[in-house]
Amino acid sequence: MTYALQLAVAGIAVGSVYALIALGIVLIYKCSGVVNFAQGAYAMVGAYVTYFLVTMGLSPLIGVIVSMAIMAGLGALTERAILRPMLKAPVVAVMMVTLGLLIVSQAICLAIWGPDQRAFPALFPSGAVEIAGIFMTYNYVATGILSALLSVCFLAFYRYTLLGLAQRCAADNSRAALAIGIHVSNQVSLAWAMSAALAGLGGTLLATLNGLSLGLADIGLVAFPVIVLGGLSSLGGALIAGLVLGILQSFTDGWLTPVLEDFLRAHTSIYSVGALQQVVPYALLVLMLLLRPEGLFGRGGTERV
Amino acid sequence: MKTRHLLLAVAAALVAIVVSLLVGRFQAYLIGAVAVASIGALALNLLIGACGQISLAQGALLGVGAYAAGNFGNAGCDFLALPAAGLTAALISALIGLPALRLRGLYFAIATLAAQAILEYLFKTVEPLTKGISGLVIKPMTLLGTPLVTDQAYAALSVFALFVTWLFMVWIMRTNIGRAFLVVRESEIVARGMGIDVARTKLWAFVASGFFVGIAGALTGFITRLANPEAFGLQLSVDYVAMIIVGGIGSWGGSIIGAAFVVLLPELIQRLGEFLNVPNVLSAMRELAFGLLIILFLIFEPRGLVALLRRLAPRIVAAAAVLLGRKEIWKPQSASRRRL
Amino acid sequence: MSLTARGVTIHFGGLVAVDGMDLDAIPPEIIGLIGPNGAGKTTFLNCLSGIYRPTGGSVLWNGEELVGRAPHVLLARGIARTFQNITSLHGLSVLDVVKLGYNMRGDLDFADRLLSLFRSERALDEELTEMFLKPLRLADVADHPIQTLSYGHRKAVDLARALAAHPLLLLLDEPVAGLTSQEGMAMAGVIRTVRDRFGCAVVMVEHKMDVVMDTCERIVVMAAGAKIFAGSPSEVQSSSEVRRVYLGEPS
Repeated sequence: MTYALQLAVAGIAVGSVYALIALGIVLIYKCSGVVNFAQGAYAMVGAYVTYFLVTMGLSPLIGVIVSMAIMAGLGALTERAILRPMLKAPVVAVMMVTLGLLIVSQAICLAIWGPDQRAFPALFPSGAVEIAGIFMTYNYVATGILSALLSVCFLAFYRYTLLGLAQRCAADNSRAALAIGIHVSNQVSLAWAMSAALAGLGGTLLATLNGLSLGLADIGLVAFPVIVLGGLSSLGGALIAGLVLGILQSFTDGWLTPVLEDFLRAHTSIYSVGALQQVVPYALLVLMLLLRPEGLFGRGGTERV
Repeated sequence: MKTRHLLLAVAAALVAIVVSLLVGRFQAYLIGAVAVASIGALALNLLIGACGQISLAQGALLGVGAYAAGNFGNAGCDFLALPAAGLTAALISALIGLPALRLRGLYFAIATLAAQAILEYLFKTVEPLTKGISGLVIKPMTLLGTPLVTDQAYAALSVFALFVTWLFMVWIMRTNIGRAFLVVRESEIVARGMGIDVARTKLWAFVASGFFVGIAGALTGFITRLANPEAFGLQLSVDYVAMIIVGGIGSWGGSIIGAAFVVLLPELIQRLGEFLNVPNVLSAMRELAFGLLIILFLIFEPRGLVALLRRLAPRIVAAAAVLLGRKEIWKPQSASRRRL
Repeated sequence: MSLTARGVTIHFGGLVAVDGMDLDAIPPEIIGLIGPNGAGKTTFLNCLSGIYRPTGGSVLWNGEELVGRAPHVLLARGIARTFQNITSLHGLSVLDVVKLGYNMRGDLDFADRLLSLFRSERALDEELTEMFLKPLRLADVADHPIQTLSYGHRKAVDLARALAAHPLLLLLDEPVAGLTSQEGMAMAGVIRTVRDRFGCAVVMVEHKMDVVMDTCERIVVMAAGAKIFAGSPSEVQSSSEVRRVYLGEPS
């Protein structure tokens, strides 16, 4: 039982990072109608920027905050410089541009820091805590708490503040928003800035768990099963789906894989199921797309004639 | 298509085949690589450019072709391993396309992403067929008993396969299914209203495209003599999309040019790097150039290199005319239909 | 060979767009479907042509239930329709579009389909131009891309496409909308010629009264989703019910 809880807790920690990344993608989607394939790049770049700042001497706290600010700037910049000129382009082309951004950012990080994995500076005290028989390193605890906190704060901001209301208006119907005086293009830039900042934080936190490498960008890809599960247009859905997927992965890794491998080894010549937890989100995604494409919480899509 | 064009293409193919048999190993390898990439690019262009279905799963499909060819070839199927690999990939492609029947473009793109990930996983785990992470060793392809071992032989074979692929593409766009592709790309609603069986049309697009991607994968497998999961990841899928963007979506010649571009660019940068002596920046440079190219093309000339050249050609010709002292060299052509 | 629509109803959320609509069509009659804006005429047409699935009622064609069948199935059964909004189909010429229609006709079997993949294009082009483009005066633009044509020409192409499918029932959605009165009369003439030559039934949704009165043998009047009157042109013109629906109650 404690083992199950242990898995669940680990899953929540990682899942909340997924949620953070996914929130950003949903936010951008609601505002620009674009699926940002480069969200993982924001996470990766955010981690590298934090690394750079902290190794330059900034304290971890300041480093993270400054990094988030820089990422916000980068997000707004990409929106202005690259997405603006493509307003009239088909959605597919814009998706490809974001993929191009992913490639470019990985190339730049590769050029500056090289391909090897680096140890990430400790942002949180080392050591672990034990609650009810479950062991967690401070890293995991902090990651989980910070991600969850920021996600919830963000949702609250979106729902309850005036600026959040402006965001929702701009996302829902840009023409109507313009008509009532909301500066829609600013809101869009803000959405991108916030998404990038959140992703940057997510990347930083992930780096504290797994180390700093170019592979951090892969989290952008895992975010897709998350948003399909949660519903492409639902922020709350992204949060819940992120947690669900994190827990699912954790259980797959900690329980399903050994069970499956025991079974297979006993009855077939297959020795290992490999990285099953990495493919489980995608299998789930396919299932969701076939059964309920709008996700658990999304609204059904309307087809424009 | 005018007979003139066809003869030109046949001539070009013959020349390329002869050249591939005569040049050195490295050049032959490059020719083969460009030819194989072109086959994949043409296939992808059929799916994305002609039928408007976005797919990010080519990398994995190429892998399917390679693994299938390896298994069939190692089992002694001779050159039939090629079409067999094509059929296998066509089948998997149809499976990937099934969700397309129900999903809109964006969701479908994400589904192909999932397909890519799932196939990669299967490559690593279905050991009996793929030998897992260590990869499947592929014996050289045999042509009626004689094994093909030289780079030149494979280059010639690849060019021939490219010619056949190109012929198919031109032919299919003149048939009714090709016309249906275009309408479905334009608007599924209009297509459906017109009486086109949209589901069947899309599935055929996937099957046809998948077949040739499988051939490309099979050739890759035979040339590299190995199929391993690392080689068929998302990066490869993106490479191929880049090829058709750079070359121009909707232009067959453009796909070949785009493929040549993407394949030869690393070589170019390699030479440059050796010249300037900077190892790390090297691989980064290629990726950077790559990503920037995609972005720039999409923003400024989404119709690719071919369109860019067409735009510039009159100016170049006019400039040449001025230089040569002639008055009017460029005659505007009468309204001709834009065919793929 | 007859169309029998009974009680066709369709809801969009809380809105009832078509409410128990009946219609009969037997080749070779030309039927006009008229009514004020928002009466549900095009929606009803969409129900007949498989684009919408009605929530209630039945549409029988030769005794076969068509409700819920996709347009390509209907086309195979001989029901073709034209559209109000002609999208520019990039990359296709006039002949391409007509050939699309031609290749979807109902009397096409598998062997024909297979052969069509290999048959010479030129002979087919000439045959189609003669049969479908000439009567619609499209012969000289046969290989022009659709997007270079005027609206009137595009409508004619759409009609040619529908005709090339050898329909037994032709559903026309505002065939003369957007045309000058001269073009409109020409189009009406073409519709009559087409009907005379091919013997198909025609159901025509239209607003231009002069064309309707001139071309249709029978007229059905729709208002608020239901049929309120049916009869010959002169009966419709003298009906006070129809006048009320179009012009409102005298105050």
